[in-house]
Amino acid sequence: MSEDPRPAPPRPTRDTPHRPVRDSVTTINTDGSRYFLYPADARGWFLSARRLSAYVLIAVYLLLPWVPVNGHPAVFLDVAERRFHFLGYTLAAQDSWLLFFGVSGLGFALFFLTALFGRLWCGWACPQTVFLDHVYRRIERWIEGDAPARRALKLAPMSGAKFARRLFKHTLYILASLAITHLFLAYFVSLPELWLFMHETPGEHWSAFLFVFIAAGLLYFNFAWFREQLCIVICPYGRLQSALTDDHTLVIGYDARRGEPRGKLRHDGTEDLPRAAAHQATVFAPPPATTGDCIACNRCVQVCPTGIDIRHGLQLECIGCAACIDACDEVMIKVRRPTGLIRYDSLAGLSGGVTRWIRPRIILYGVLLAVGATVAIWSFSTVKPANFLVYRMSGAAYFVGSEEVRDQFMVRIVNKRTVPATFLVSTEGVPAGIRQTGFAGPVTLAPMAELVSPLVLLVDREHYNGPFKFSVKVTDAARTFALTREVEFMGPDPRLLHEDDEERKHPAKKKGDAHD
Amino acid sequence: MNPHQQPPAGNDSEPQLRPHSYDGIQEYDQRLPNWWLNTLYGAIVFWIAYWFVYMIAGLVAPPGAQVDAEMARIAALKLADSIDVTNDNKFWEMSTNPVFVDAGRQTFNSLCIPCHLPSMRGKSESPTAIGPDLTDMAWIHGGTPKEIYTTVSKGVIVKGMLAWEPVIGQKKTVEVVAYVLSRHQKGEPITVQAENK
Repeated sequence: MSEDPRPAPPRPTRDTPHRPVRDSVTTINTDGSRYFLYPADARGWFLSARRLSAYVLIAVYLLLPWVPVNGHPAVFLDVAERRFHFLGYTLAAQDSWLLFFGVSGLGFALFFLTALFGRLWCGWACPQTVFLDHVYRRIERWIEGDAPARRALKLAPMSGAKFARRLFKHTLYILASLAITHLFLAYFVSLPELWLFMHETPGEHWSAFLFVFIAAGLLYFNFAWFREQLCIVICPYGRLQSALTDDHTLVIGYDARRGEPRGKLRHDGTEDLPRAAAHQATVFAPPPATTGDCIACNRCVQVCPTGIDIRHGLQLECIGCAACIDACDEVMIKVRRPTGLIRYDSLAGLSGGVTRWIRPRIILYGVLLAVGATVAIWSFSTVKPANFLVYRMSGAAYFVGSEEVRDQFMVRIVNKRTVPATFLVSTEGVPAGIRQTGFAGPVTLAPMAELVSPLVLLVDREHYNGPFKFSVKVTDAARTFALTREVEFMGPDPRLLHEDDEERKHPAKKKGDAHD
Repeated sequence: MNPHQQPPAGNDSEPQLRPHSYDGIQEYDQRLPNWWLNTLYGAIVFWIAYWFVYMIAGLVAPPGAQVDAEMARIAALKLADSIDVTNDNKFWEMSTNPVFVDAGRQTFNSLCIPCHLPSMRGKSESPTAIGPDLTDMAWIHGGTPKEIYTTVSKGVIVKGMLAWEPVIGQKKTVEVVAYVLSRHQKGEPITVQAENK
């Protein structure tokens, strides 16, 4: 042992770099403790594109409550008034059934896109990734430096400088979390209201204050410490996606046929020329060497934000962020080998086959998406500006007077719009000789107001031929929409009524009738 | 150390396979993350504390009792706000108060006119109207303010007069009575004739 000049390799601890294995989650140590990652910076086309997409998404998120459309913020979920404004389109609480089509349409769209392109959502659009990679990790990178510097800072004993940096970083984290949660609250209470809340003591709006306080705390915890654990352990969509993808789904993968066996780059340059030539020609010709293209530089592992080795194949931790593509391409360019050793491709494509884009799964999800989208568009475009209900007044079902049969209904109209509206109520399918009281003329309702008023129908005894169904219809003054409700006019058996009439006209005949 | 040397495997011992195998599928016995276990232990601690605080020590009233207390508070508030409907003079007072009468007119015009007509004159104005005249001095179900209030609030079910108080509440019911009384004089000679109007 003493002859070996090299020191024994240190036992892995929570803070030394781990080599990812396929059978365990890198970020969970064998004692259950967390292995905190310090992913290195990757630069390249995918990072630029992802950053652009993230900035656009963040800008949209931040701006929606500020931009007014038709007098309301672009998106304003007014819970207090139960009115929901989307880009000038207003929905009422009575329209909440539309949520089903909104959510299921979104679900089918995700099914379809996931089957085609894998975890595109996770890497490019999920708020977790967008805020973590493009806000919080940027803050961390700016204050604590690159990956080795961050790891060194973590291992360094606590000092004034370390404490100051940490304090600065966490202060910015908390400020970012507070900004995100305040904007989130603005979606529900509007900005002027939020501004008012912020100026008054927390006690005045303790529920809003508590919400922001707790939500910001959760965001801070999530983005400062929890990070990839959310994607690996908690997120149900991440798990669900495993069931939506197959061998022809686009994933991020390592071309083992080209890369293996891995070999260290030789520094004598003997291999450089043929490879450079191959790189010039767009079609890659297998090199005469015995080693593959992977030079085992481990760059793809160092940049991975979930701590996996993409060369082990598709793994549940992979959020499809494409950092390893950028990292590998950068190295391949440096060693003058073709890029794309790690790339977006299907498992079939990576193993030398051809990706089939049209497959039963795609057709099924596509049909589901088409049906869902059609129903969603139809239901959203046919939302009525009013809610309308006709119901029988409590008490007896009908009343028989000396001259007529009478049914009494209550009509309820809700103006769901934010402007006053005039409504006309009429009956359809009623027989001749019917009289109606109530709703003789148009009624005008204030914005979002509700009206409950009686509608009484009378049929003269001589015209009465038994119960019948009819409909009550409401339209607006301009007749841009109509809502109808079918109700039944109830009454006695007409024969009983006519017998009764006969009796009253000819009281003497009563006995004779009874004998008939 | 060689910079290209692979770092050691993350988990120094190989994960153990569980002895069972279902459909040829085996599983590893991996350690759960500590943060996950801590949420479980935290939930257990919370449950015990909750159970102790609510059920044993009675430091906080159980949710059911809280609801009951809140309902009792609302009922007490309602009672304190309720109007004395046994006092005829109070009704006459309200019938001269424009605030009550106006509020009553609004309710009357939205709910009562299909039968009693906007003029309140019912069958006297139009023989085809459903409801009786409320402006004359002949009453069917009693003509003192108390009796009118009872008719409006409890209804006359067989005739089709709805029990309105459960629908519109006591305040509006009283206002409607005040509005009807505004067309009458205190002490006018009233007659009660059952049903042949």
